[in-house]
Amino acid sequence: MSVFVVGYYSLLIAASCLAAYYKRREPFLIIFGLTLISIIVGIIGGIGALKAITTVVALLALAAGMSYAFKEFLVTITPERWAKELRTAPLTASFGMFVIFIYAIAGIFAPVIAPHGEAEVIASSFAPPDQNMLLGADQLGRDMFSRIIYGARNSVGLALVATALAFFMGALAGLLAATRGGWFDQVMGRAADIVMSVPSLIFALLMLSIFGTNLIVIVIVVGVIYSPRVFRLTRAVAGNVVVMDYIEAAKLRGEGNWYLIRKEILPNSTAPLIAEFGLEFCFVFLLIAGLSFLGLGIQPPTADWGSMVRENATLISFGEITPLIPAAAIALLTVAVNFVVDWMLYRSSGLKE
Amino acid sequence: MATNKKKDVLLKIQDLRIEAYADEKWFEIVHGVDLTLHRGEVLGLIGESGAGKSTIGLAAMGFARDGCRISGGSIEFDGMELTTTPQSALRALRGSRIAYVAQSAAASFNPAHKIIDQHTEAPLHYRIQKRVEAQEDAMELYERLRLPNPQEIGFRYPHQVSGGQLQRAMTAMAMACRPDLIIFDEPTTALDVTTQIEVLAAIRDIVDQFNTAAIYITHDLAVVAQMADTIKVLLKGEEVEEAPTAQMLENPKEDYTKSLWAVRSFQRDQKPRPTDPNVKPVVSVKNVDAAYGDTKVLDDVSFDIYEGMTVAVVGESGSGKSTTARCITGLLPPLKGEILFKGEKLPPSYKDRSKDQLRQCQMIYQMADTALNPKVRISEIIGRPAQFYMGLQGGELKSRVDELLDLIELEPSKYYNRYPTELSGGQKQRIGIARALAAEPSFIICDEVTSALDQLVAEGILKLLDKLQRELNLSYMFITHDLATVRSIADEVVVMQHGKVVEQGPKDVMFTPPHHPYTDLLLSSVPEMDPNWLSTLLEERGVDNIGEAAEI
Repeated sequence: MSVFVVGYYSLLIAASCLAAYYKRREPFLIIFGLTLISIIVGIIGGIGALKAITTVVALLALAAGMSYAFKEFLVTITPERWAKELRTAPLTASFGMFVIFIYAIAGIFAPVIAPHGEAEVIASSFAPPDQNMLLGADQLGRDMFSRIIYGARNSVGLALVATALAFFMGALAGLLAATRGGWFDQVMGRAADIVMSVPSLIFALLMLSIFGTNLIVIVIVVGVIYSPRVFRLTRAVAGNVVVMDYIEAAKLRGEGNWYLIRKEILPNSTAPLIAEFGLEFCFVFLLIAGLSFLGLGIQPPTADWGSMVRENATLISFGEITPLIPAAAIALLTVAVNFVVDWMLYRSSGLKE
Repeated sequence: MATNKKKDVLLKIQDLRIEAYADEKWFEIVHGVDLTLHRGEVLGLIGESGAGKSTIGLAAMGFARDGCRISGGSIEFDGMELTTTPQSALRALRGSRIAYVAQSAAASFNPAHKIIDQHTEAPLHYRIQKRVEAQEDAMELYERLRLPNPQEIGFRYPHQVSGGQLQRAMTAMAMACRPDLIIFDEPTTALDVTTQIEVLAAIRDIVDQFNTAAIYITHDLAVVAQMADTIKVLLKGEEVEEAPTAQMLENPKEDYTKSLWAVRSFQRDQKPRPTDPNVKPVVSVKNVDAAYGDTKVLDDVSFDIYEGMTVAVVGESGSGKSTTARCITGLLPPLKGEILFKGEKLPPSYKDRSKDQLRQCQMIYQMADTALNPKVRISEIIGRPAQFYMGLQGGELKSRVDELLDLIELEPSKYYNRYPTELSGGQKQRIGIARALAAEPSFIICDEVTSALDQLVAEGILKLLDKLQRELNLSYMFITHDLATVRSIADEVVVMQHGKVVEQGPKDVMFTPPHHPYTDLLLSSVPEMDPNWLSTLLEERGVDNIGEAAEI
C-alpha cells in the first residue's frame, strides 16, 4: 500500500474521531460518511479514484476558504451599514460574489490581462495548449484564453445592458400601472401578455432577422422580451405597497405620481426587484449565448462565449474539452449570480426572522 | 370562578430566563420569572408591550419564537421538564395537552380549509377520536360556546363568520383534545367591546366547565379582572408582583401596579359649542350617503364639528365610522350629500381639492406601523408636509422639524435621523401626529389612534393630543370603539350603527340615561375593574342573547 492511501485513511479517521470527541454532530457525520464511501470507492476504483476524491474535496475546501476570506475582506473594507448585512451572507453567497468580482475584473481589464488580441491569429487551428497559449487555439488558430477574457467583456457587458434596459422599461411601467391603475394598468397588462405569449427565442429570431443583427437591435429586442416579467413582478410588489396607509397619507397630501413612485413605493420594493435583476440577468445571458450559438447574436470576430461553444463544437467528437470551457464560464457565472440572488431573496422574503 | 382551587400543581416555572438575538448578540429579555399554576386555575399575565408576557406564555409550552431561546431556569409541566424534553415529545404535548389561542383568530385560521376540518385536525392526529366523533364533539363545543347554528357553522370557511365567532371557534378548537392548560394570548384585544363580552363569557364558561387551567395574557386590566383567579404583573421581563385578583385590585403594593390601575383616570373638561349662531362649524357633514360598489355603507350621516372641539364617533366594527372619515378626506366621494369646511363646500374627491383644502384636514392612523414609510427617515417624514405646503427649505425646514419633535415630546437630536422601525409603538404614533401637525391643519381625524397601544402609552398619546388641541386650537374627529377613551377626551359624541347616526349630543348628556338602546349596549359592554362585573352583566342581559350582539 502506498503512503498516500495510508495517509488518506488515517487523516479521515483521525478527523472523524476528533469530531466525535468534541461532539460536533454534523462534521462527524460528513467526515465519517466520506470515510465509509472512500473505503468502497477505494476497493472498486483504486488509488486513482481516491486521488480524484482528494482533488474534489481540496477544490471545495479551497473555494470555501476563498469565499470565507473574501467575505471577511468585504466586511472589513465596507462601511458599517453594509458590513452588517454582509456578515449574514452564507458561504455560497460570498463564493458567488467572489466569482462575479473575478469576472468583473476580467471584463474591465480584458486588454491588459489577455496575452493576445481577440481576433489575432497566432497558431494553427486547434493547436494544443503550450506555454504561449494556456488553453490552446480555436478553429482559426486564435488564443482561446484571450478570447474567453474578451468574451467576459462582450457577453457579460451586453447582457448587463440588455437586463438594465428590460428593468428600466418593466419597472417603470409596473410602478405606473400600480399607482395609476384603471385603463393604463389594463393596457400595459395586456401588452405584457402579448409579448409573453410568444416564445422568447422565436420572437428574438424573428426580430433579429427583420432588423438585422447589430448590437443595438439585440439589446432592444432582448430588453423588450424580458421587460414583461419585470413589469408583472414590479406591479405585484408595488400593488402591495400602494395600499399602505403612508401612501394614502401622501396622496391626501396632494403628492404627484412621480413623488409617490420615487419616494414612497420604490424604496419599499427594491429588495425583490434586485433579486429579480440577478435572476433575469441569468436568463438574458443565456438567451444571448443561445442567439450567438445560432449565429444571430454577437457577430465574429468579436469573442463571445455562446459563439465560441458553437465554433469549437467539432472538437467534442475528438474528446477534447476545449469547447466546454466557454460553456463552463457561462455556467459558473449563472451559478454564482444565483447564489447571490438566493441570499438576497432569503433576506427580502422575511425568512430571516 | 374561584371555586375549584388548591389542587395539585400543573405548571411550575422557576427562574425562567429567555434570551433574544439582535444585532448579532444574545441579550436577556426575561430575567428570572417564577410561576406556579394549579389545575383549574386561571392566571392573568399583564404588562405593557415588551414586558415579555407572550414570550413567557409560549415558554409555558416549551416553545421559544425564532430568534429567541430559553437560556435558563426550569419549566415543569405535570412532572415533565420541558426545557430538556426533545422536540418530538414537545410536539406531541402541544395541541393535545397544552393549547394556544392566538390574538387574531382571523390571521391564525387557514383560510383555505373549513373551520371544523381545522378543529378536528388535532384529535385525529393524536388518534383520540375518529373523524365523525370529533365532528360531533366540535358541534357540542360550539353549542357550549353559544355559537349560532352549532350544527352548521363548522362547515363554513373562516371568512364566512364574524370576528367574535371566529375567536370563539378558536377557543373551541383549543378545547378539542380537552387539554390541561390553555394559553390565551390577548384573545379579545382585536375585538370591539360588544364582541369582546361574548368571547369573554364563552372562555370563562368553558374553562369552568372542563376545569382547565389557563394563562390569560392581556394588557387590559378590566378584562383580566373578570377572568383570572390570580394576577401577575410584569415589567420589562421581570415580575412586579403577584396576588389573588380581588386583593390585587383593591390593594396593589407596587408603584408600577398602581400606575397601571390609575390609567383610566385621565379626563379633561368638556367644552360646550360656541353660543354665537354665526360661528360656522369647522367641518360639517350633511346628509352623506356612501357606498362601496353596490353595498351601501353610509345612510344619511350628518354631524358638525366646531373649532377647538373633539367629536368622538363611536360604534362597533362595520358601523361606518372609518367610511365617514374617508368621505371627509375625499378618498371615497359620497353618493349624496356634502362636506362643508368652514361653510364652504369641499369637492367630493381629494383629487379636485386645492392644496390648501388638503392641508387643512389631516389624518392620524390606527396602525402607526403601516402609516409611516419604513424606508424614510423621521426628519423627512415630518419635514415633507412642511416642505410641500409651506415651501420650507434647508435650515428653516430643519428648525421646523425640531420644533415639531419638541411639540410631540421627542428629543430632536436623538430622533432626527432615525427610521420608523427603530421606534416603539407609542413613539411611532407620535411621529404620525407630528406629520399631521406639520401641515398646520385646523382639523385632524384620529382613526382609532390608541387602540393598538397599551394603556400607559395610550394615555400619553391622549394627553399629548389634548395639549396640542389647547395650544393650537385644533378640532378633532375621534374615531374609536373604546368608550373609556371617549369618556376622557370627547366633547361631543356621535353613535353610529349600520351606517346610520343613532344618537348624538354633548358627552355629559350622552353618558347619562336615558340612552338609545344601542348606546346603552355599547356603554354597558365596557369592562369595569370590578371582578364581578361580567357575571352581573350576564345576569342582567340574560345569557342567551349574548351571542346575538355580534351578529351584524
